[in-house]
Amino acid sequence: MKKGMIKVSDGFERIVHWSMAISCLILMITGLGMMFHSFNFLAIPFGGLKNLKLIHNFSGLVFIPSLLAAILVWWKEAGILDLPDDFEWIKCAGGYLWHVENPPETGKYNVGQKAFFLAIAGFGIIMIITGLVMWFPLGLPVELVRWMYPLHALGFFVIFPFFFIHLYLGTVGVPGSVSAVLTGWVTRSWAKKQCPKWLREMEESGKLEVSK
Amino acid sequence: MSEKIKLCDLSKCTGCRGCQLACKQWNQLPAKQTFNTGTYQNPPDLQPNTWNIIRFQETFNNGGVDWLFRHDACMHCTDAACVKVCPSGALSHTKYGTVALDNSKCIGCKECVFACPFEVPRYDPETDKILKCDMCYSRVDNAMEPACVKACPTGALQFGDKDEMLEIAYKRVKELGGDASVYGDKFVGGTHMVYVLPEKASVYDKLPEKPRVPLSVIAWKDWLKPLSLLAAGGVIAGSFLHYITHGPKDTSGDGDHASKEGGE
Repeated sequence: MKKGMIKVSDGFERIVHWSMAISCLILMITGLGMMFHSFNFLAIPFGGLKNLKLIHNFSGLVFIPSLLAAILVWWKEAGILDLPDDFEWIKCAGGYLWHVENPPETGKYNVGQKAFFLAIAGFGIIMIITGLVMWFPLGLPVELVRWMYPLHALGFFVIFPFFFIHLYLGTVGVPGSVSAVLTGWVTRSWAKKQCPKWLREMEESGKLEVSK
Repeated sequence: MSEKIKLCDLSKCTGCRGCQLACKQWNQLPAKQTFNTGTYQNPPDLQPNTWNIIRFQETFNNGGVDWLFRHDACMHCTDAACVKVCPSGALSHTKYGTVALDNSKCIGCKECVFACPFEVPRYDPETDKILKCDMCYSRVDNAMEPACVKACPTGALQFGDKDEMLEIAYKRVKELGGDASVYGDKFVGGTHMVYVLPEKASVYDKLPEKPRVPLSVIAWKDWLKPLSLLAAGGVIAGSFLHYITHGPKDTSGDGDHASKEGGE
């Protein structure tokens, strides 16, 4: 490894990230195959819609502990707004949508990432509850079960856009980001652009891990 | 092909259960262990292996007792909530307007069980599929009437073209007078089982007065489905536009040594 790289994630974080990402991706593809008749063909490689349903349900069982772990791991860093700095970030959209000379400095995660975390945490829990009811609906009140389906669809409506923007900004949109969840090491210039406040705090407290 | 209707004139029903048995016979649905609920109604409700039943109901009327019979089965809605929610296309409309079930396509998701305003589809845990009356599609498509209609000895059940059946229904309601009404042609786009009810609809057990496709199904299938496609397409297109106009963020810096000098 090159010298001077910065450690931004530990092994557990990366495992949580990928178990969420993979289960979420499978859930969205299999869910799409069941939600739209025009996407029924997605079931062909799995041998039919019934198998698609099974894969969907059991991927959900992987998603549940992943989401709970994700909330535990990231709620402190990504779940709480850092005012008033974060408000300044919102006002200029962090410089992501139009040119901003000096975007406000952010900690480990910016407001966009915090919004992503909160959306996934909140709607993820909704997906889990509604999904479990949809899996085992018999004997429950009819009117309750009926509303689980549109809520589950609402979850997709919210989660997919966040998921895709995350995918875009985590890869080609912000070059140098992928390694944060692959090896955990990023360049110093990346860290200085993406999480300057965090970088400073870590350096001041002497906790920053730098490759030698 | 014209729409077909099964007309069920409850004023002529004697509760003989010939329809219930004929259905079992034609569709090869042997009975299972049942239990006594204190009425002649048996089994107690529609089941995966019982696609139509006679509901027996006692109502008090001026010191006397009225015994009401109702042939209960799939209503075959034009605006069918079950067809709307079915993810696999197992439930579909036939050329006769009735709702057919291709059991081999059913994935046992139970969505129709909760969508149906009449609570008709029943889940069979043994096969992990749902089952319901398909208006004897195999017979109707071969110019025969459904098995239940064939068996009915009193003429309470009739089967034929929509216009003809509705004409008979309205004529019969006029004859009966009082609280009699035609039930089925005015909601969910018109059902393909239509009742002549001698009493008010509210008198009958488990017969919704104003059945409709549940709002949750409309919110889900008519609003959120197109909205989610729009949102998904929007962010994919938006991200692409962002990349080609705004461009990726510059995270390179002037090499890792320069950052110590403080300049961006």
